[in-house]
Amino acid sequence: MSDDVMIRMNQIYKKFNQLEVLKGINLEVKRGEVLAIIGPSGSGKSTLLRCLNRLETIEKGAIEVEGEFLVQEKNGVTTYTDAVTSKMILGKMGMVFQQFNLFPHMTVLENLIEAPILVKNMKSEDIIPIAEQLLAKVGLLDKRDVYPSRLSGGQKQRVAIARALTMKPDIMLFDEPTSALDPELTGEVLKTMRQLAEEHMTMIVVTHEMAFAREVANKVIFMADGEIVEEGSPKSFFANPQEIRTKSFLQNML
Amino acid sequence: MEKIIGMVMPMLDGSGITLQIFFITLALSLPLGLLVALARISGIRPLGFAMEVYIWLMRGTPLMLQLLFVYFALPMVGILLPDLAAALLAFTLNYAAYFAEIFRSGIQSIERGQYEAAKTLGMTYIQTMRRIIIPQMLKRVLPPISNETINLVKDTSLIYILAMNDLLRVARTIVQREFDMTPFVIAGVFYLAMTFVLTWLFNRLEARYAKYDE
Repeated sequence: MSDDVMIRMNQIYKKFNQLEVLKGINLEVKRGEVLAIIGPSGSGKSTLLRCLNRLETIEKGAIEVEGEFLVQEKNGVTTYTDAVTSKMILGKMGMVFQQFNLFPHMTVLENLIEAPILVKNMKSEDIIPIAEQLLAKVGLLDKRDVYPSRLSGGQKQRVAIARALTMKPDIMLFDEPTSALDPELTGEVLKTMRQLAEEHMTMIVVTHEMAFAREVANKVIFMADGEIVEEGSPKSFFANPQEIRTKSFLQNML
Repeated sequence: MEKIIGMVMPMLDGSGITLQIFFITLALSLPLGLLVALARISGIRPLGFAMEVYIWLMRGTPLMLQLLFVYFALPMVGILLPDLAAALLAFTLNYAAYFAEIFRSGIQSIERGQYEAAKTLGMTYIQTMRRIIIPQMLKRVLPPISNETINLVKDTSLIYILAMNDLLRVARTIVQREFDMTPFVIAGVFYLAMTFVLTWLFNRLEARYAKYDE
C-alpha cells in the first residue's frame, strides 16, 4: 500500500435481506483528496459511506484505513478486527449526516465538547477554546449558547461539521449534507466544506450538488445499482462522460 | 369546628403512612423501572425475556392481589416482612413494571440518528445511553410518568386491606365510630391536595425541559 493511499475498499458486498445494495465495490482515496460520490437514489452510495465507518456491516470484502484493516478476508471468512483496533480506526473518521443529528438537549457548545470530554477525557477548559475556534471557523461563535432548535438548517449542518471536527478526524465523511436544506441554505454549508478541502482534509462526499463535485472534488465516482459505473477527474467526468447511464443521469441533473 | 379538628388530627397521622408509601415507592420504582427497561432492550435474550415475564406478571394481575400475596402468602414460605416493608415491596415491584414500559417506549422513540451521531463521535453504548438517549427520553416521558405518579397517590389506599392505618382506613374508622361522613370528604380533600402539589411539580419540571425543543 503506497503511503498516500488513506482508504482502500476492496470488493465490498452488502445485502439488505435479499436485496444486494453493493456489488463488489473497489475504491481508493488518497490523503488530502476530495472524493465526490454521485448517483441516483437507491444506488448504494450512502450505504457505501456507512459501511466505511461501520454504521453498516459488510458481507464480503476488505476495508483498509491508513494501513490497518477494519475488515478483511481471513481463510475465506469476512472478519472484522478486534474492538480496540476498530475503535482506533473509526476514530480517524468524522461523519456529517443528512439530518444533522445534533443533540437537541444540548447547546451548540455542549454539542461540540461532549465527545472530546467523554471519549478523549479532555478537560472542559482545554476543549472549550478549541470548540470556540471551530465555531468561529464555521461562522457561528455567536450561537454557542443556543439550542439547535433555534438554528436554521444550514446553521445546524455547520454546527454538525464543527462537532465532527472537534474529534480531530483525518477523514471527513459527508452523507448528502445539503439534501435536507432549503436551496438558499446550501451555499453556506458548501462554503464550509470547500474551506475544509482547501485545508487538505481528506473528504468523501455523497452528494447531489453537481457544482460542488465539479469544482471542489479531485475525483468523482458515479454509482448506480450498487456498482461503480464510472469514475474520473471531475473535468473529464462532467465534460466527457463515457457510459450511457452516466450521461442520462447528468442530463437529468443539469 | 372542634369536631372537625378532632377528625383531622388522626387523619394527618394516617396521611403520614400514605405519604411514606408514596415517596419510598416512587424513589425505588423509578430507578428500578429504568433498569428493567434497559435490561429489556439490552439485546441479551434471556435477560430481555425475564423482564418481559416480570412486566407481564405485574401488569397482568391486580395490585390488590399482589399486596395480598406478599402479605399473606410469603410468610407461608418463611418470608415474614414487617407490614410497611411488605406493602413497599408489592408497590415497588408493581410500579417499576409500569415505569419500565414508559421508559422503554420513551427510549425507543429517540431517533436512530442520535445513536449514529454518538457512535461516529466514538461514544460507547453506555455513554450514549447516559448522556444522549436517557436525558432526551426523560423529557418525552414526563406526561405519562406524571400520570402514573398521580395514580400511585390513590393506589396507596389499597393498603387499607392490610390493616395499616393509612389515610383512608383512619377515615373509615372515624366514619364508623361517629356515624358522620365528613371524614370521607376530608380524605378526598387530602388526596386532592397531594395530587395538586404533584401536578404543580410536574408542570414545573415540564417547564424546565421546555428550554429546548426537538
